[in-house]
Amino acid sequence: MKITREDILHLAKLSNFSLSEDEIKSLGTDLENIIGYISELNELDTEGVEPTYQVFEMENVWRDDEIKEQEASREDLLNLTTESAQDQIKVPKVL
Amino acid sequence: MKYIPTIGIECHVQLSTKTKLFSEVDNDARGKEPNSCVSPVDYALPGMLPRLNGEAIKFAIRAGRAMNCEINASSRFDRKHYFYPDSPKGYQITQFYHPIIGEGYVELPDGKKIRIEHAHLEGDAGKLTHFDTYSLVDLNRVDTPLIEIVSMPDMHSAKDAHDYAKALWRLMCYAEVTNGDLYNGNMRFDVNVSLAEEGAAELGTRAEVKNLNSFKSVERAVEYEIKRQTKLLEKGEKIIQETRGWNDATGETTGQRSKEEAKDYRYMPEPDLPPINLSSEFIEEESKKLPLMPKDYKEKFTGKIADDTLEVLLDYPALMKKLAETKDVKRVSNWFASVLLAEEKSAEYLNDLPTAKQLDDLSEMTKKGELSSTGAKEVFLKFFDPEMGKRETKVIAKELNVIQENDLGELEKIVDEVLANPATKQAQEDFKNGQEKVIGFLVGQVMKASKGKANPSSAQEILRKKLA
Repeated sequence: MKITREDILHLAKLSNFSLSEDEIKSLGTDLENIIGYISELNELDTEGVEPTYQVFEMENVWRDDEIKEQEASREDLLNLTTESAQDQIKVPKVL
Repeated sequence: MKYIPTIGIECHVQLSTKTKLFSEVDNDARGKEPNSCVSPVDYALPGMLPRLNGEAIKFAIRAGRAMNCEINASSRFDRKHYFYPDSPKGYQITQFYHPIIGEGYVELPDGKKIRIEHAHLEGDAGKLTHFDTYSLVDLNRVDTPLIEIVSMPDMHSAKDAHDYAKALWRLMCYAEVTNGDLYNGNMRFDVNVSLAEEGAAELGTRAEVKNLNSFKSVERAVEYEIKRQTKLLEKGEKIIQETRGWNDATGETTGQRSKEEAKDYRYMPEPDLPPINLSSEFIEEESKKLPLMPKDYKEKFTGKIADDTLEVLLDYPALMKKLAETKDVKRVSNWFASVLLAEEKSAEYLNDLPTAKQLDDLSEMTKKGELSSTGAKEVFLKFFDPEMGKRETKVIAKELNVIQENDLGELEKIVDEVLANPATKQAQEDFKNGQEKVIGFLVGQVMKASKGKANPSSAQEILRKKLA
């Protein structure tokens, strides 16, 4: 499958990445290789086979609705951010 | 050219579970400091895994049943990817492929049925506040459980849209799955509006107005869109498929970002959450817990409460519940209606309702004639008084000094005194000569002599006997 320069730029935009020219080129090649490799699976006939969503065969894993005291404080967590103000996480203006 | 509007609505309902959908953190951030209801899971720190809140599943079953929906025995979660600072994970956990709530319908007051396509569980996003050069992020709301209810495009006017939004609000409140506080965004509506020529086989291109949080704004936004799109079509222009924002002050919608296509969200099964497979017994058991719905109360109270009064009172689910506990619904509902309608007291007035016993006692005292209708209303109003409200009805009535004299012997004595008073001689003569109206004056004198405590109809009865 051919990955175009536009495909890469579109994906980068969706993830808010800025890419250098070199990266655009090498990512294109990498993605083409990965998709080419994976697409070999398309040759299998999966007609009538339930898609696999997970491999652990677990179901109905849920917890009770009880509040638990958190070990990490608000300050601990805010300290992990690059910048904060008024007890909030400060980010470049988005709108 | 005549254009027919078609409207579909997506509604996000915040569920009032104790904890969030995927973390064991307080879900009720009302009045709390920003970022005080958060955990490393909400921050999406490396290695953190979501743990599903079982209560949210039960809430979803009740919500679904309130809308006459099928509950899907098997459902799962998916990741919807997008980059925005309100979502530290970089994706929202939602149910794109296998939602928990299937098809159903919501009935409008005029009898129209709006079909529900499906409804699914998902996590809410954080809250952004924008400043000149930066934005601030509060994660308290991250992964508050939501159900997103998707209607079929079955509405065709602004009124339909308004009625549907309101009907949904009532259903969710009565199902007790949400606090239903619209002002604080507990329910948010996205409205899709398109126009098509009358008789056209296909729907027109739609615009989506996002994030409306009142019935009125839903109605106004639809009205505006119908006008805007009609104007464009009449000029021969095309409608662009886009997301539009609503400005409540100007009453207009404006174009926002172009809508990302579904494939841009790169949906994939959420690998951290195993599927939900519910037994029919489990679904049945939860369905049984659905409290009485507005239609049940309508059935219950028809004939006891006037239709238009009932329609107003139905906006207060806690009040309906209380009325159902009282013996004399007719009398009690009248008191509430006169407080809510005539005195324009709002909902917060009803936050702390009187007990069923207080209300029953008040009905009983009024029925027995111990309280006049004015006296009863005075006592009723005191039920909402922070000082006196918790006392027994009789105690309040005594303190207000509004209990009527019903001891007929006692009353007769007062009547005799009044009749013995020379000041009433002329009136007595006039009455005996056939002047009916004068009885009012005499009753008034008895009331005065009893300091307002006499029961006027008993007083009149005794007066008539004595003057016959």
